[in-house]
Amino acid sequence: MSHKQTRWAIGILGTLGVATMIVLHWMVFFWVPTESTMGIVQRIFYIHPAAWWVAFLGFGIVGLCSAVYLWLGDERLDRAAVAGAEAGMVFTTIGLITGPLWGQVAWGTWWEWEPRLTLALILWFIYLGYFLVRRTTANPEQGKRFAAVVGVIGVLDIPLIHVSVTWLRSLHPEAVILNPESPMNLERSMGLTFGVGFLAFTLIFACLFLASYTVAGYEYELKLRDANPGGTQRAEA
Amino acid sequence: MRAYVALVWAVARKDLLVEFRTYERLTAMGAFTVLVGVLFNFSIDSAVVRPQDIGAALIWMTIIFGGILGMGRTFRLEEEDGALAGILQSPIPLDALFLGKVLGNFVLLSMMAALVFFVFGLFFSLSFSGNPVVLVAIVGFGVLGFVSLTTLFSAMATRSSMGESLLPVLVFPLLVPLVVYGATATQRLFAGRPVVEVSGNVRMLAAFAVLFTVAGAWLFRFVIEE
Amino acid sequence: MARKWFSRWTTAFLLGVLLFQASPVWAQAGTVLGRQTLGRAYWHVFAAYAVMWILVLGWVVSIVRRLRRVEERLGKE
Repeated sequence: MSHKQTRWAIGILGTLGVATMIVLHWMVFFWVPTESTMGIVQRIFYIHPAAWWVAFLGFGIVGLCSAVYLWLGDERLDRAAVAGAEAGMVFTTIGLITGPLWGQVAWGTWWEWEPRLTLALILWFIYLGYFLVRRTTANPEQGKRFAAVVGVIGVLDIPLIHVSVTWLRSLHPEAVILNPESPMNLERSMGLTFGVGFLAFTLIFACLFLASYTVAGYEYELKLRDANPGGTQRAEA
Repeated sequence: MRAYVALVWAVARKDLLVEFRTYERLTAMGAFTVLVGVLFNFSIDSAVVRPQDIGAALIWMTIIFGGILGMGRTFRLEEEDGALAGILQSPIPLDALFLGKVLGNFVLLSMMAALVFFVFGLFFSLSFSGNPVVLVAIVGFGVLGFVSLTTLFSAMATRSSMGESLLPVLVFPLLVPLVVYGATATQRLFAGRPVVEVSGNVRMLAAFAVLFTVAGAWLFRFVIEE
Repeated sequence: MARKWFSRWTTAFLLGVLLFQASPVWAQAGTVLGRQTLGRAYWHVFAAYAVMWILVLGWVVSIVRRLRRVEERLGKE
């Protein structure tokens, strides 16, 4: 993709994303009825699972791009992985904060060791490790490889973590009356709002992912230029 | 194949010989075990909580904390003496190097784990009525999985400005399945539950250990190269 | 630089935690499951959406800042 095409893509995705978000807010706060079992706090749910979805999408990108980066060594894959990790970090944080905000009202406690929240907390720290390893390694090229290894190992471990945490939870079926898995009274309007939420988040993710990736490309180009002051190196977009 | 195994053993043997001359890591891990047991004793109010109820949990956490302490130094010797460059120039396959390191660390941490069980059993009057072979399998697979991950990441930590303090941040999130399956199984065995209740855990621990030993061996080349 | 970045993220996370901890209804004891005080639920919903915006905009700002820095330096040459 040329620079111009990329900027167009970012612009369009961004505009669509913001527009969808505005529509979502209108739907959540003015249109959709209050859910009968959970009440007002259920409105957090229009953004909470969407945030999870994007967080896992980001993480999937990190894992995939990291693995292929280790194999092929193409810088672009590393940049894509970092952009994915940034997205993952942002949206995992959103999920980790909105979750307890919902949970305090629904469960009566700020924190519950329920599988998704637990997995998200662990995921947050795997992302943290990814960034720490990148930033604190003296040799930046090595740092990228180390981070990619963290990404690959993380992706391998996440399913195991999920299985183990779910298994442990099933041993102690606490009376979590209002747990996220239990069926809510979903009217069609709510389903639609959910859908809009997912769409909005995906669009915003796509826009910002692309933007971060592109800026990383410029930064890389700059680095090459600094390393070869007279040379005619050009980084690929 | 035999040559490969010989290479792995050569690496492990070298590390173990060095360790048995200086006893540096073993001393640290051993002292840690006993001292942590002492501190746990003071931190648990036995009028409120029965140490026997949480004995298995304490054991696993001590193995993990002590393990991180001991494993962080896996590549210290090579870094300090510049021996790494020499090893990389030799024709040893990098996965064999990794497996050798893992084997050496496995022996050391297994020794520490045995000490932990002994010391904690003594301090907290833990009684064990379960099947010892199964317990050995659980701890064995657990230690192997732990050592594989930690060895891989300690190679990274050595090159990081954060040094060994990076290791827990990287490794602890990944250890969750290990702790879940290992500690639960150990608790059940201590409580005298039948082996059948624990066999699933053993399988998961084995899967974890095999997965990360193989993954580590494959990924090690990306970590050790300059 | 790693520390600056790290502390920024930690601060963001802690601020998020503090945000809902500072909620005026924190003083109330735990509720019965399902029953909600109108005030608290609204606060939580507001906080949730606010946090989402803060974090997303924070990311946008960081990207824009990086872009500015790069354009400045690329422009110099």
